[in-house]
Amino acid sequence: MKGEVDTFRLSLLPFCALVFGIFTLMIIIYLTASFPIFQKEGIQIYITNVWNALEDNPDKEFYGVLAAIYGSVYTSVLAVLIALPLSIGFAVFVIDYAPHKIKEPLIVVTDIMAGLPTIIYGIWGAFVLVPMLRDYIMRPLYEHLSFIPLFSFEPVGGYSFLAAGVLLGIMVTPFASSIIREAYRMVPFTYKEAVFSLGATRYEATKILLGYIRPAIIAGILLAFGRAIGETVAVSLVVGNVFNIHPSLFAPGYTISSLIANQFGNAFIYGYMVSALFAAGFFLFIIGLIVNICGLIILRRYAYAQRG
Amino acid sequence: MDIKRLFILTTLILLVVLVMGCTQPQEKITIVGSGATFPQPQIEKWIDVYTERHPNIEIEYTGKGSGAGQNDFKQGLVDFACSDPPLSESLWDELKKKREPLQFPIIVGAVVVVYNLPEVENLRLDGETLAKIFMGKIEYWDDPAIKQFNPEANLPHEKILVVHRSDSSGTTKIFTTYLSLVSDEWAEKVGSGKTVDWPVDKLGRGIGGKGNQGVATAVKQNLYSIGYVELSYALKENFSIVALKNKAGKFVTANEETIKSAVSMVSVSIPSPKEGYKEDLKALLNAAGEKSYPIVAFSHIVIREKYEDKAKDKAIKDFVKWILTEGQKSENVVQGYVGLPEGVTSKLLAET
Amino acid sequence: MLREVKEKLFLCGIAIMAALAVLPLFHIIYSVAARGLPVLLKGGLKFLSGTLAPPGDGLGGIGPAILGTFILTSLASLIGLPIAVMTGVYAAEYPESILGRLTRSLLTIMMEFPTILVGLFVMQILVIPMGSYSAIAGALALAIVMMPYVAVYTEEAFKNIPFTYREAAFGLGLTRFKVVFRVLARMAKKGIVTGMLIGMAKVAGETAPLLFTAGGLNRIYFAGIDRPVGAIPLLIYNLVQQPYENYHEIAWGASLVLLLIFLAIFLPLRLSLKEVKL
Repeated sequence: MKGEVDTFRLSLLPFCALVFGIFTLMIIIYLTASFPIFQKEGIQIYITNVWNALEDNPDKEFYGVLAAIYGSVYTSVLAVLIALPLSIGFAVFVIDYAPHKIKEPLIVVTDIMAGLPTIIYGIWGAFVLVPMLRDYIMRPLYEHLSFIPLFSFEPVGGYSFLAAGVLLGIMVTPFASSIIREAYRMVPFTYKEAVFSLGATRYEATKILLGYIRPAIIAGILLAFGRAIGETVAVSLVVGNVFNIHPSLFAPGYTISSLIANQFGNAFIYGYMVSALFAAGFFLFIIGLIVNICGLIILRRYAYAQRG
Repeated sequence: MDIKRLFILTTLILLVVLVMGCTQPQEKITIVGSGATFPQPQIEKWIDVYTERHPNIEIEYTGKGSGAGQNDFKQGLVDFACSDPPLSESLWDELKKKREPLQFPIIVGAVVVVYNLPEVENLRLDGETLAKIFMGKIEYWDDPAIKQFNPEANLPHEKILVVHRSDSSGTTKIFTTYLSLVSDEWAEKVGSGKTVDWPVDKLGRGIGGKGNQGVATAVKQNLYSIGYVELSYALKENFSIVALKNKAGKFVTANEETIKSAVSMVSVSIPSPKEGYKEDLKALLNAAGEKSYPIVAFSHIVIREKYEDKAKDKAIKDFVKWILTEGQKSENVVQGYVGLPEGVTSKLLAET
Repeated sequence: MLREVKEKLFLCGIAIMAALAVLPLFHIIYSVAARGLPVLLKGGLKFLSGTLAPPGDGLGGIGPAILGTFILTSLASLIGLPIAVMTGVYAAEYPESILGRLTRSLLTIMMEFPTILVGLFVMQILVIPMGSYSAIAGALALAIVMMPYVAVYTEEAFKNIPFTYREAAFGLGLTRFKVVFRVLARMAKKGIVTGMLIGMAKVAGETAPLLFTAGGLNRIYFAGIDRPVGAIPLLIYNLVQQPYENYHEIAWGASLVLLLIFLAIFLPLRLSLKEVKL
């Protein structure tokens, strides 16, 4: 078979090349479109909180998207903090304790949640979740505990980092939980037997077994974080959309994706706004890429270790 | 189901739909526009009436802010754009390179300040105080500066939540130009523009709303908030409107009478549609006259001088002419807007 | 004693966490149904076929948006499926090659990619040169979002076919083409169709890729694939940000319609499978 050309492979190559091509083209477009603002401001586009949009004066324009970066990270971390206990608890419950009849339905429910159109999360978040959070959690906490910086902002409308974080947490829990669930299910039965035979309570046993699948949990967190930081529509409806850097959970803010969604439509009449937004998008691109790749590497290595 | 069959079925349905869509343009003319939310209720009404009389013409307007409208027009993504402030000279020059623009004022509207304080009616403010509030210098509703104009009002000791536009907005430009006129501090610190760096954001008391609708929603939903919208939105939602002190020293709210007074007091020189950028936004602001409302502005439509599609060219020009004639009649004007003065329309029509 | 207390707390905690993880879905479905159903009932069939009502005044209809979603999803499938399936096949058939492994990794990365960035990209390369927001641009953006899912499913489907079938087919002297497309494809059909449908269900509900590509239409049904087109998620997104009560009602009604469409595709699919990759 030496020297024979595999026409089949050749015929499929263009399609693969196309996929790679699109991805590479995306990176190129983002880089070239961000170039002007990098030239103009350098790193300041990422480390300052300014939005000076001037129509006739391109030189005086100045953009700094720190508020958006802050908001994206803040809300995604919050989302992961919420998703972590929920997804671990869910995984353990489904594998160890759920009665057989409801195991499958529970998993179906999380799969639906994972695929549900994000705009539905958004409309529910804006009209149902935000008032609920505002009236039952934010106001009481503010009234009694406002000396704690986390609660120190007056929650008037309810659009806040907290609302975005909670909504994102709900949205990314299914992703994290499916990874953790799979890994937990694969724990060899002998390990469980061993731990119980040593006299551990269920609590202690679960702790040990979870420690065993720690890489999978970390991977789940990373992937959930990546998913949360990239979410646009649901977040932009509940986060408040103001350039605000504030430690309080109840303060409104911006995220990179909602900044782009809000400002891109009018960006071309300004000299540098398009470039600034592409630079913000590029930042998101890179973070998403890093987080997803790390998560995947950890998962792959863990899978290897399992099989080995 | 067999993949092949599914595939063929979907392709067939698609082809049918596409063929239907592609055969339409020969009968129907589709015109797409975008831009300011300031005149949007009025434009929607005009579209309704006009397309009823001309069933072969379809017009779609998307309100996304004057900035986005100018943006779309510049990129050639829409057939017409609506902008509150006249186009800037630099933009005009850029546009001239690709498509010669024509700009027409189409309606007069007013920017009003609305607020959400259930027990307070008829709040009165003057320009300086208003600027201070939006700059963030006045923090509480019961600040002496506000009390000074409203001695009997039940002003609560609550922080003022300032609602502004999050998108590039002609309404913002009008409002901030007015604030620059009446407050030197504002002119220096913040300036005017379709987007400005709102000081209240850094203080944590600012909320951004998308479009006039977004600001209206935010004021409606947030107690102790204050914001600026076009009059028609305030009327529709039954907001409490601030009575502003005009140049003559009287406190006026915006209504047909006070708007008309402002327009008539100023001999507005409207430039030719080919030189729209020469129009001065400031002309109608803070007008003289006892009954004049201080924040009055034109809203404009921007079209191309010539479109490649002859049918579309004719349709759009006809639509604009209709707006300047029939559209200005009182039955076609939405509450909250005022028709253009006679002198202006006759001059514009003479030019087209 | 302490151990027993910890044990009890733990068991309670686990149950609560699990409940909290799934509770939101039920609340969401309940909210959408409770607020959307009255709207659908009030609007009747006209709601599904009419055009948008003026602010503050009635319900009108969401017809252009429903048609738009249908058009966009179909176009996106037309563009994305062939590429995705072929890519998936390559990754399945040549798993040791560098390109094959890279492709697989790339696809998994693209699955979680922020979709707003895809929308911006398509705007730069298609919308602006073309001079108009268009259905084809929206479809392209959706196709890019859809491709990774379909490709990964295709690959899995092919990988799951026992090697003996390949051996047999090759043993009969068939060329690789015939082996893959005649023999294996038929067996992988279920997996591929699943991937297609999952991809379609996902993109029917996507908003961010459409924000700067499709344009949105409220009054006109269909103006051509090189002109703007509406979509249900876009419509909901716009209506939610407006203050008018009737627009909020329409948004809830549209959400219910979208939810039903999504469940109608997704639920039967999911129930006929053992596991789903999302």
